[in-house]
Amino acid sequence: MSNSNSDKKNSNIWKSLKEYYNDPEIFKAKANEFNEGVTDDFDPSELKGLSRRRFLAVLTASAAVTATACSDYREKGEIIPYNKRPEGLLPGRPNYYASSMQLGSDSYGILIKTREGRPIKIEGNPDHPINKGKINDVIHASILNLYDPERLSNPLINKRKSDWISTDEEIISKLKTASDAGKEIAVVTNRVISPTVKKVFDNFKRTYSSAKFYSYELFGNENKRAAWKKSYNTLIMPSVKLDKANIILSLDSDFLGREGNTVENTRLFTDRRDVMKGNDFNRLYVAEGALSLTGSNADYRLRIRPDAQFEFVMSLLNEIVITKGIGNSKINNESKTLISKYSLNDFVKNKGLDSLKVNYLVNDLIQHQGKAIVIAGDTLPVDLHIAVNLLNEILSNTEIYDFEKGYNLNSDLSTEEDLNQLTENMTAGKIGAVIHFDTDPVYHLSSLYNYASALEKVETKITLTESENDTSAACNYVLPINHVLESWGDYKDRAGVYCLQQPVIAPLFDTRQAEAVILTWSFGSSKSYSEEMYHKFLMESFKDEVSYTDFNDAWYSALHDGFVVQNVSIEKSAVFNLSSIEGIIEIKSNDSYLLHLQPSYFIGDGKYANNGWLQEIPHPVSKVAWDNYAAVSPSTAKELNVKNDDVIEITVDNKSVKLPVIVQPGTADKLIAVELGYGRNIIGDAGKGAGVNVCVFISNNNFVSQWITGITSVAKIDEVYKLASTQEHHALDDMSVKDFHRIRNIIQEGTVGEYIKHPGFLHDHAKHELFSISKEVKYNGLKWAMAIDLNKCIGCTACITSCNVENNIPVVGKDQVARGREMQWIRIDRYYSGTPDEPVVSNQPMLCQHCDNAPCENVCPVNATNHSPDGLNQMAYNRCVGTRYCANNCPYKVRRFNFYNFRDNFADAYYQNNVTDLVHNPEVTVRSRGVMEKCTFCVQRIMEARSEAIKENKQLKGDDVQTACQVACPSNAIVFGDSSDKESEVSKYRDHDLAYHVLEELNVRPNVTYIAKLRNTHSEEV
Amino acid sequence: MKKTVLDYALKIRLPLILFTVVLAFVITFYVSRAERDGIGYQPQQPIKYSHKLHAGTMSIDCQYCHTGVTKGRHALVPSANICMNCHTVARKDKPEIIKLTRYYENGEPIPWKRIHKVPDYAYFNHSVHVNKGIQCESCHGNIREMEEVSQVRGFTMTACLECHRDPEKHLPYLEKVNKGPENCAACHR
Repeated sequence: MSNSNSDKKNSNIWKSLKEYYNDPEIFKAKANEFNEGVTDDFDPSELKGLSRRRFLAVLTASAAVTATACSDYREKGEIIPYNKRPEGLLPGRPNYYASSMQLGSDSYGILIKTREGRPIKIEGNPDHPINKGKINDVIHASILNLYDPERLSNPLINKRKSDWISTDEEIISKLKTASDAGKEIAVVTNRVISPTVKKVFDNFKRTYSSAKFYSYELFGNENKRAAWKKSYNTLIMPSVKLDKANIILSLDSDFLGREGNTVENTRLFTDRRDVMKGNDFNRLYVAEGALSLTGSNADYRLRIRPDAQFEFVMSLLNEIVITKGIGNSKINNESKTLISKYSLNDFVKNKGLDSLKVNYLVNDLIQHQGKAIVIAGDTLPVDLHIAVNLLNEILSNTEIYDFEKGYNLNSDLSTEEDLNQLTENMTAGKIGAVIHFDTDPVYHLSSLYNYASALEKVETKITLTESENDTSAACNYVLPINHVLESWGDYKDRAGVYCLQQPVIAPLFDTRQAEAVILTWSFGSSKSYSEEMYHKFLMESFKDEVSYTDFNDAWYSALHDGFVVQNVSIEKSAVFNLSSIEGIIEIKSNDSYLLHLQPSYFIGDGKYANNGWLQEIPHPVSKVAWDNYAAVSPSTAKELNVKNDDVIEITVDNKSVKLPVIVQPGTADKLIAVELGYGRNIIGDAGKGAGVNVCVFISNNNFVSQWITGITSVAKIDEVYKLASTQEHHALDDMSVKDFHRIRNIIQEGTVGEYIKHPGFLHDHAKHELFSISKEVKYNGLKWAMAIDLNKCIGCTACITSCNVENNIPVVGKDQVARGREMQWIRIDRYYSGTPDEPVVSNQPMLCQHCDNAPCENVCPVNATNHSPDGLNQMAYNRCVGTRYCANNCPYKVRRFNFYNFRDNFADAYYQNNVTDLVHNPEVTVRSRGVMEKCTFCVQRIMEARSEAIKENKQLKGDDVQTACQVACPSNAIVFGDSSDKESEVSKYRDHDLAYHVLEELNVRPNVTYIAKLRNTHSEEV
Repeated sequence: MKKTVLDYALKIRLPLILFTVVLAFVITFYVSRAERDGIGYQPQQPIKYSHKLHAGTMSIDCQYCHTGVTKGRHALVPSANICMNCHTVARKDKPEIIKLTRYYENGEPIPWKRIHKVPDYAYFNHSVHVNKGIQCESCHGNIREMEEVSQVRGFTMTACLECHRDPEKHLPYLEKVNKGPENCAACHR
C-alpha cells in the first residue's frame, strides 16, 4: 500500500483528492460563490439553433399572446365539474392506493398518492411486512416514467403506426404458422416473481405448444440462490435478521446500496445504530475492492480485490476451524484438507492488509458466534457463496437466518446452456418467433450470446415495451405496454407474503397490459381482448393463491392493504450439505489488472436510464451524475498516468471500451470498477449520451464471475471526457482555517467506546458566549425543527429523490450540473478522512437549516425571504427578483437559483409538455427562471396538517407533519417536529449529548440538529 | 433678459404636460381599480341559473351544492348529478332545465364560467376558513340576492390581509376570532 504522499497531508478531513493535496485550484474555486463560468457563459453565438420543436413553441406562444390581447381580459376560464362525481374523490384532496412494484428480483409495497385521478407521488406502504413504508430512489422516481414524453403510444409494425386489432391478428397468424410448423416460439422475460404471470405463460403454452420461456437478469443474486440450493437444497433461502447481528462482515456485498432488498437491510442494520435505543451498536467490517455505499459505512474496511475474496474466505475458514478449532465437528476431513491449504497470516502478508484489523475481525466473529453474519456480494461466484455458507454454518450464524421471511427460490433464471441453445437455434432459423416480454436482450446479452445477430435470423420479432429500446429497434412488431401504475399484478417473492398491484390511472395512451396481450394471443383472436381481461384473470388466480372464506371480502381487503400475509408452514432450518463444499473450484488471485462490473445505484439494468431525476442524483460515493466511469485507486491512476476525466481504453480479449476515469480513494490497486446500465443506443432524449455500455465485457468465461474479469490491456488514450461531479459544489469550507471541518463543527464524530466512557465528550470545550447582531425573537407555540441522526444515515439518497418528486424539482441536465447548477434541495455531503488509500467516509445530508438568525434574510433587498412565526425560513417566489445575495450569504450553501426555466432549458424542453406536466405536485409552485428556491421544510405538508387540525378543531402538533425526506428515509434518520414541545422526539434529539449544529459558532441558530456519528471501532480514535 | 420660447416651454408647458399626464394616470388608476380587481365581473353562464331563487327564496344551504368546502381547498362547483337530485322531477319542461338534462344525459360536463379566482401563486384553502365559522357572504357577497352571480369584492392580497389583520371588523358575527396568519408561507409556497 503506497503511502508516499502522506507527507503532503495536512488536514484530517477532505472532500476530494485535490483538496487532500492542496491543489491551488481548490482555493480559487472555494473563494468564489459560484463555479467558474456560472455567470458569464451567455454567448448568443453558442446558443443552439432554433429547433423545429422550439420554433413551433414560439409560433404557438405568439399566436396565444395575440389571441389573449384581443380577448376579454377579465375572462378567468371555465370550471368544469364532473358530470357524476365518483364516490370518494374530492378535487383538491389526495387519495391513496396501496399497490406493489417489482424491482429486480424483489417486490416492494407502495402507496400511491393521486390527485384528481392522477398519480403524483409514490411512497412506501407503511403496513407492508418487508419494506415497512420505505422505498428506494428508483421507485420514488419511477413515477416520471409514467409521464415520460417518449412513451410509445400505439403499436408499430415495421416502425409504422398501426392499431391493436390488425397487429394482434397479424401476430396471431404468424404464431399459429410457427407453432403448426413445429418451430419454437421463444418468450424472453426477466425474472418472473408473479404467480399469475406464470399462469399466463402456461395458458400461452397450451395454445402454442412449441412455446419456450427464457428468463435472464443483467445482474442479481442468482449466484447466491444457486449456492443456497447446492448447500441446502431447499426452496426457501432465508433472509438475515440483521438487527440481531452484532458483527457483520460484507465481502464485496453492497447490501445497503444496490444488491436487492436494500430497504429492509438498511432498516434492520441501522436499528442497531440508534443512540436513542442505547449504545449496543453492531460492528460492520467490509472487505471490498471498489468503495461502495456499504463500504463507506464500515467501521473497518479492508481493501481486498474481488479475485482475492475466495482466498480470504478460505483463509478465514482455516483460521477459525483449524487454528482456533471452532466448529470442528461440523466439517469432514475432505473439507478440512481443502481449507488447510490456506493461511490467514500468509494472506494478510501477501495482500498487505492491516493485520490488526483482521485480528479484530477473527476475534469478533468467534466471540459473537451465532450473533454475527458473513454476507458475500452478488457479483461473486457460486463457489464463494458456498464457502460463505459454510463459514456461517461453522460460526452458528444460521441462528439469525429468517426463514419465515425467506426468499422463494421457485423462479429460476435460464441457464447458460439454455440461452446458448436459444441463440444457436435462432441463428439456425429454428425459431419461428421471439417475444420480448418487457426485456432488452439486444442491449444486455449481445456480447454474451451474440443475441443481436442471432435475432436478425428470426422471422417474427415481437417486443412488448413501454418505450423504444435497443431490442424494439430490431423488432418488426413493437407493442406499447402499460406502466406499473396502469397495471394489475401480483408478486410472491418472499415466503408468506402475497402482494397485489392495482392500477391507479387508466392508460394514458393506447397501450395495453403486457399480460393481457399474451392472453389475447393465447385465446387466438384479437376480439377476445378486453380492458378487464387481466383483472379478471388475476381475480381467478387470486383464488388459488390465497385461502379465504368470502371471496369479495378477501379480494377487496387485499386490494385495500396491497398484500396478504399468509400462514404457510416453512421449514425453520436447513441442513448444510457438506458435499457442496468439496466440489468447489478454487480461484487463484493474481496481480494483473482486474475489471469489476457493478450494478448501477439508480438506473437498474438500463430500464430507468431515460429517467432524468435518477440520472441526476449524484453517485453516493463519487458524486458523479449522468455518467458511468472507470473508478481506479490513486496509485493505479499514477501507474496509468491518468487523472480525473482522462479517458482510458480497456481491452478484454478483443473487445475494448473507452471510459473516463475517476480517481476514487479507497479503491483496491489495479482494480477498475465500472457500473452497468449506461450507454443504451436507442433511448429517449434524457438518457441519450449518458455513459458507456460495458455490457460487452460480461462473459460466462470470465476469470472470477460473469461480472469480474481480467483485463488484457488498459492504457490512457489522448482524449478527455468531462464528467459532471458535484463533490466540490457548494463547499462549506473556509480554507483559511486548517482542519476546518472539525474545528468549525461541520463533521463531528466519536467512537462508541468514547461515548460510553464519557457521553458528553462532544461538548467538552468551553462554550463561548455568542454575540448576536440581531434581536432575539421569541417563539410562542409551535416551532418547526429537524434532527438528522448521522449514525443512521447511510447516504443512500432516497431523501433526494423523494424531495424531487414532492417539490417539483426540475432536471437540469449534465452541462448544468457541471456548472454547479443542480437544483436538488437536499444534498449528501461526503467527507473523507484518513489517507487516500484507506479513507474513512462521513456522510452528511445538507439542506436549508431554517436558521433563527438567518443570514440570507437580512440581505434580501425585496424581503422575499423572511421568517415565519413558526420558525420557517420562508421564500416567496413571486417577490424574488433574483439578486442571489441570499445564496451568497448562506453559510450552508443550500439555496438554488433558477438560472433558466429549467423545464424549458433541459434537452430542448423535453420535460415541458402536456404529459410530463401531470407529474407536478399541485400544492407546490413550479418555479420559473430568475428566482431563488430552497428547502421549505415541506410547508405544503405543514399547511395540509394545519387545515386538518382546524377541521377537527384540534391543536396542530409536531408529529402531525412528516416531510418528504423523512418519509423516504429507510433508516428513519430524519426526525421532524415541534422543538417548543419538550416531549417531542425532535426535542429529545436536540437535547442529546451527541447533538450539534453545523457552523454553530456563526450564531445563526440553525433548526436542523445533527447527531454525531459514532464508529464502533475497538480503539477510541476515529 | 429676453424671454425665449425655450423658457416658456420649460416653465409652463412642460410642467403642465407632466401634471396632466400624472393626473390622468392617477384618476385612471383609481377609477379603474375596481374593474381591474374584477369587481362587477358577471359573465354569461351556459345555463341561466338563479342563486336568488335557489339560495334566497328556497333557502337551500350553500353546501348542499358546493360540497367539499369543509374538507378541502376547493368549494366545488356542483356536478350535474347534484342538480338532477331535484330536476329529474322538478320543472322538467323549462328550457334551461331541458338544457341541463341534455348535458347530464350526454355525460357532458357543464362548462361554467369562472367568476372568483385567486392568482395561481396563492394557495387559498376554503376549509380552514369555513371551519373557523366564516360565512361565504364575507367574501362572495350576498349571493342570495343575486339573480346572476357577479364578483363583489376584490380577491387581491390587500383584500386578504385587511381581514387577516382586523378580523373583528370584517367578521362581526364571529364571537371569538383570531387574527389570520400574515406570513408569506401561509399562502405562497
